[in-house]
Amino acid sequence: MPNPIPHQKKELNQSQQLMIFVLSMSLFGIANIITEIVPEFSFGPVEFSVSYFAFIPLAMVFLFSPLPAALGAPLGEIIFADLLMGDFGGIGELEGFIEFALALYVAGLLVKNPNSRKQIAIASLVGVGIDQMLSTVVDIGKVWVGIEELEAVPGVPESILVLEGISFVNEMVISGVLFGLIPAMWLVPRLHGKIEPLMGFAPREDVSFRSAKEIVGARFLVFSVFFIFVGMISEFMAEMDVNFAVWQPEFIEQFGQQFLWVGVSAAIIVLILAVMGISYLKKSSSSGNPSRKAQ
Amino acid sequence: MNRIRQWLSKINVETIKIELMNTAYGERTTLMAKLDPRVAIIWYLLFAILPWLFWNNTILIGMLVYMVILTALSRISPLILFLLCFGLVTEAGYVIFTALFFGGDLTAAAALLTFTMKLTIISLASIVIFTNMDPERFSDALLRFKVPETFCFGISYGYRMLPILIDEYQNIFNSFRLRGRFPEKKGVLAWRYVYHFCVTAVKAFYPMILNTAKRTRTTVEALEVKGFTYGMHNPEAKELKLSYLKTTKKDVLFLGITGVVLIAIIYTGTLYPIERTIHQL
Amino acid sequence: MIMTPPIIELKQVSFSYPSSGESVLHDVSLSVERGDFLAVIGGNGSGKTTLCKTFNGLIPHYYNGELAGVIRINGEAAQDTNTALLSKTVGYVYQDFESQLVRPRVLDEVRFAPLNYGWQDYKERGDEALDMLGLNDIKDEFIWQLSGGQKHLTALASVLSLQPDVIIVDEPVAQLDPVHAREIYYTLQYLNREHGITIIVIEHHTEFIAEFAQSVLLMDAGTVKWKKPTSEAMRCTTELQDHNILPPPVTRLAEAVDAEASRAPITLEEGTDWFRPWVPATSPRHIRPVPPAASKRAEIASFDGVTQGYKTVEKSFKWIFEDLSLSFYEGERIALVGGNGAGKSSLLKMLTGILRPRKGHITAAGQALHGTSPEKIAELVTYIYQNPEEMFIEDNIRADIEYFLKARKSPETSTYADELCRLFSLEDLQHKDGRLLSGGQQRRASLAIGLGTQPSLLLLDEPTSSLDINSREEVARLLHELKEHVKTVVTATHDMDLVAEWASRVIVLNEGTVEYDGGPRGLFSSHELMRRCSLYPPQIVRLSEKLGIQPSALDIHEFLPFVKGGGPCYESYPSVAFENQR
Repeated sequence: MPNPIPHQKKELNQSQQLMIFVLSMSLFGIANIITEIVPEFSFGPVEFSVSYFAFIPLAMVFLFSPLPAALGAPLGEIIFADLLMGDFGGIGELEGFIEFALALYVAGLLVKNPNSRKQIAIASLVGVGIDQMLSTVVDIGKVWVGIEELEAVPGVPESILVLEGISFVNEMVISGVLFGLIPAMWLVPRLHGKIEPLMGFAPREDVSFRSAKEIVGARFLVFSVFFIFVGMISEFMAEMDVNFAVWQPEFIEQFGQQFLWVGVSAAIIVLILAVMGISYLKKSSSSGNPSRKAQ
Repeated sequence: MNRIRQWLSKINVETIKIELMNTAYGERTTLMAKLDPRVAIIWYLLFAILPWLFWNNTILIGMLVYMVILTALSRISPLILFLLCFGLVTEAGYVIFTALFFGGDLTAAAALLTFTMKLTIISLASIVIFTNMDPERFSDALLRFKVPETFCFGISYGYRMLPILIDEYQNIFNSFRLRGRFPEKKGVLAWRYVYHFCVTAVKAFYPMILNTAKRTRTTVEALEVKGFTYGMHNPEAKELKLSYLKTTKKDVLFLGITGVVLIAIIYTGTLYPIERTIHQL
Repeated sequence: MIMTPPIIELKQVSFSYPSSGESVLHDVSLSVERGDFLAVIGGNGSGKTTLCKTFNGLIPHYYNGELAGVIRINGEAAQDTNTALLSKTVGYVYQDFESQLVRPRVLDEVRFAPLNYGWQDYKERGDEALDMLGLNDIKDEFIWQLSGGQKHLTALASVLSLQPDVIIVDEPVAQLDPVHAREIYYTLQYLNREHGITIIVIEHHTEFIAEFAQSVLLMDAGTVKWKKPTSEAMRCTTELQDHNILPPPVTRLAEAVDAEASRAPITLEEGTDWFRPWVPATSPRHIRPVPPAASKRAEIASFDGVTQGYKTVEKSFKWIFEDLSLSFYEGERIALVGGNGAGKSSLLKMLTGILRPRKGHITAAGQALHGTSPEKIAELVTYIYQNPEEMFIEDNIRADIEYFLKARKSPETSTYADELCRLFSLEDLQHKDGRLLSGGQQRRASLAIGLGTQPSLLLLDEPTSSLDINSREEVARLLHELKEHVKTVVTATHDMDLVAEWASRVIVLNEGTVEYDGGPRGLFSSHELMRRCSLYPPQIVRLSEKLGIQPSALDIHEFLPFVKGGGPCYESYPSVAFENQR
């Protein structure tokens, strides 16, 4: 008489997605409150402040189904750190939400095996990179729209580019590497296989949360964001007739056109850092990481 | 240099916590708080978009004055206003300063002024509306605007959980302190203290994530039991929930006044424009 | 009379979670009658909670596992419906009720569920639930500002708002102090009697079961052992003890007096009648008080004129302590008691340096705490959290125990950790994550982690809360053994049994002032004081009070001599003075 009823499902059900969403939201929310409390040290436009603990949402998208985790985290930031703390920026929040959610989602899709530090490192940088590139694009766009005949105001376009470049590098180093990549590499493998039973589901495996289409989509997104970024900056420079020559012409001669690609060079710096980090980790993790076989 | 050390030992988390709580849970009784949240959001959107469409300084100044009046009426905490001003001024300051290096002149400052004015209008609009809006009402208004249920729930859930999560993090952080060891030397620029603090803050998230995961499981189970997922697919439930949102005379009046003020500003602006003189290069 | 079908019926139900594959429920058949007040008992891991989750459809609809057999709730097969629908019939109050409350304010919380079902009268339903539990005064409060008892009642009200036929309450006593726990039980009884709601509690405390439940279901290793009427169930003392359940004190006392007793008492009322003939109705006896010794006590910690308080959200200032002065001495076992909000935790936290007094001075081990970092103070004083999970900062117990010594690069780290693991029987668990352990294991681990700092003064916050009887006994035993490792132990607790059996000195805090400071017997003999400070004495103490035994016997062993005809011999509980002389 007893007839076993099959209830096994491959995909996460709605409640489990809700669980991931709520978890990601709560954690990143509280993390944002903490970063608000942490004092800032600023040196002119270069701020030595922790603008966000990127490793938390990154860990969430690496460990769980990326979409609910990617949507939950920026919402947590908006609710906890902005809305409840009386610092809600309205539309500005929406723009941040889209940028960050997209960045996280793509980063999550890039990770195949949460135990692979290499993948975590790359995905972390790509994640923070996309977020920062998009916000740079939006910032420049705002100035472009907000100041009438911007090209006619001497100095400002160059100034905007330089400041955005500094902030980009600054964010990539602090949020991307110090509070993104490094803690994520420490945290994710520790949590993998341990947090899932606490929440009542099986650990993530290669196939569980992503389809081939999504992966292709994610890669496409990475490239398109990069091209938008580069395209926007070059277009901006062309339109504005940006001429850094006014300022120290010898400098330009020495370094040529590359210097103008502020954003691009920033990306390169980060890339170099990533390669260094990965090669270092490859050495340290090559000894005994059984789950690597899964690749 | 001893300041960081002092700050670390003197930092009274309780005080910070109460400050946070005051901001989040203090009373919201101003005029804006009594508006229908949907009207408030529409009003906000108006002022978030309009400034981008004008480059006429007269109009922008008019809007700014209107915003300043509303801000004064809304009894916004001086701290928030100070932070806003500080942020805007330094931001513009950096740009102008850097622009001077690239051969900029006062035109840069003038251009920046217009731009900063736009940003100020938008920021003030959001401060006026959102620091006074009950998060619950805000989330219901969003729900009315067809924002997904999960997001709206998230807002009120965050409102509920904030103190618990802060407590939990504080306890874990203290666990680290009570068992850890403070660096003896402070190093150049007290970097050892900063490093110690940062590492602890990050490490504390490991237990925090696991504990929150456990808690979340119960929460979501309870949501299931309370018919939350059921309600999500039930339009009637949504209707019922939002039925209290009603536009009153006050709302109409408020929008009406805003409309009149806007028309007046734009009309005056077009009659007496203050334009930036553009230097041809 | 018409036979109504049982409200819950299980036939040959087996279940296993997908992750483990082990069967948690095994061939369970049972029925619960409408209007019953059922207590589900059984040791840890016997499947009590899993069983109850089959009643409201979480199994199989939420937990995807292997389920076999038939579950009928209110006549309907549970497999054919869903959790949302079943929840209208069966409400569930979690042990971790704090996480169950999802809305910011009380009123929103109680209206939440009926609103989700789209019921037009959701407001009335919510209000009615508040009325039934007398929560109208707090309906506009923020949930996070409520006390534990109020939160539990709110969780119950939010379940009630669906007007269910059955309410399941998972370990109501675990997270509450005894006074609030009784309140919850009275409420459940009222709902059961006046509203005909079937109540199912998962419970370890037989005192409550004996007083409130009508029937008892014993679970063991995923199977149902038996289901009996309470009076019968409570008298199966040997069988209960085999399953780690301690029968009510009066029942054990009666058995100790007369092993052949056929109708042993199970409640205090029955006990009073039962023992009256045994205890000679003499005038109150007074034992010889031990004269306070001339003290040569070494002070280990002191508060001098300490004032502490905080700003509330309403912008007023709330004082916890005003001008508090207190000293702790070496060799003392101090119990810090008092109702919720009496300032127990604040007092302990001030000793760790995490919380600084606004005024006044605190010293520990001869050192002024002012200007000393908590990291430094931690070398003298250890604080053990109420929630052990907040102490698990590493990914295994062993690393947690070693954390402190490792940070100080102590050469004896490993050997000392070995010793602690042995002392707290953690050898087999030391490489596991603390969060994955059972309640009792977590508690042991937290004690070991605390001792890992080699303190002189050990502070414990509610070390026995939310433990089953067996683990509780074990913790109590360990507390006695701590004497060899630390000089003084201070325990903040609601557990009056622990106070009775462990403490050498009791400090009663009430609204920030010390109401009583002395031996446990003195406290338990001052019934009026206890009531004023919302303390609830152990059953044997209450029995002594009822029978006019003065001063009260603190436990069964002390009570026995009265019954056996001899005089009181309370020497086994030395007073503070006696203890300090040694």
